[in-house]
Amino acid sequence: MKNDTAEDVVLEIKDKSELMVDLAYSSLLYNNKTIAEEVYDLENLIDELYETLQKDTLEAVSRQKLSVDNALTIIKLAKAGEEIADAAQEIADVQLRDVDPHPILTMSLKESDEVLSRVMVKKDSVLCGKTLGELKLGSETGMTVIAMRHKNRWLYGPNKKTQIDEEDILFAKGPEDGEKHLQELAQGKISEI
Amino acid sequence: MGKEKHRHRILGKIKRTPLWKKEEFSEIEYEPTPVKDLLTEMKDISELIIDLAYSAILLHNQEIAEEVRYLEVRMDKLNYDIRIMAMMAARSKEDAEQLAGILQIAQAAEKISNTAGDIILLMKENTEPVLPRILAKAEERIFRLKIVEDSPACNQTIGSLNIESETGMRIIAIRRENYWIYNPQSTSSLVANDIVIARGTDEGYKQLNAFFLGKKEDIE
Repeated sequence: MKNDTAEDVVLEIKDKSELMVDLAYSSLLYNNKTIAEEVYDLENLIDELYETLQKDTLEAVSRQKLSVDNALTIIKLAKAGEEIADAAQEIADVQLRDVDPHPILTMSLKESDEVLSRVMVKKDSVLCGKTLGELKLGSETGMTVIAMRHKNRWLYGPNKKTQIDEEDILFAKGPEDGEKHLQELAQGKISEI
Repeated sequence: MGKEKHRHRILGKIKRTPLWKKEEFSEIEYEPTPVKDLLTEMKDISELIIDLAYSAILLHNQEIAEEVRYLEVRMDKLNYDIRIMAMMAARSKEDAEQLAGILQIAQAAEKISNTAGDIILLMKENTEPVLPRILAKAEERIFRLKIVEDSPACNQTIGSLNIESETGMRIIAIRRENYWIYNPQSTSSLVANDIVIARGTDEGYKQLNAFFLGKKEDIE
């Protein structure tokens, strides 16, 4: 494995683990077992990535393509991501138990600095038929889409090429005033992004 | 915008010296704080602390690293308090089952803050800039911005400018004169010559930077 590939893998672990924490909190707030199960699947994926990464980095060192110091840094960074992913799984685990979440939990999540929101895209919304890259929701509304449901299919951590269609359900994270803006856009109440 | 938050909290306050060592060895006193407030603060810290840890590395800044250590110790205390409060709140088996879930989330938040503590240890290691190179490739990154004297941002609050909802940039910390403000709230003002550490995309950075440099009158 080439040096830069190890760097890409470690970045994937970092980004995915942060996404998992957001997904785990969302699953609790919206009482959603499907999202919680996805966190479990992602955790398995991260474990696999982490193992491959350790092996490949060590091999690169033995072939003198990577310095010991750099290999250690890469492995430690990946380990941090792996631990965050574990923590996300523990959070999601609470949702998967057959116990109704404590009312305090929802209140607490809603009072947090960053809010999680869920919106359904209506037929006459400006969001319909556009990709996330075209819409630039992140820099225009402050809301980052962390997951979405398109018909019966779920999509986690959508990218710039992901297209939004009518009746999609978006799960997003961001500031309180961004939530209202996204709601109104999705409902077709305003057309200016 | 934003509802008033009356709860006791340390984030967003100005602290000249993070006394994490003092906090670590101080005797743990029992403070009756509602479970809800404890959990909210733990979640907020767990979200901030990872970004702070990466900021410390990228900016080679020991003071930010100190703040990470302080928050890590603070988190231990919160985790202890929430256990006590949860035990006192349980009156039935059903209560206990639900509260066990809350404690599990608190434990996970504490684990995240410990990980942030591990991340800042990477600063000590004498490595080539492999870490900044990796972090530079991420879609959302940490940026450092400066507010010039003729920027329209001067003497405005973060909330009134709607910085996050207009640019997607989340302010993690502000350096003013010789002290830091961590996790500023919507009521915090921006002042000329502030150094702002924020997380976001390239696009959001360009937009906010032009505004902070006084090159654009409007943030949009």
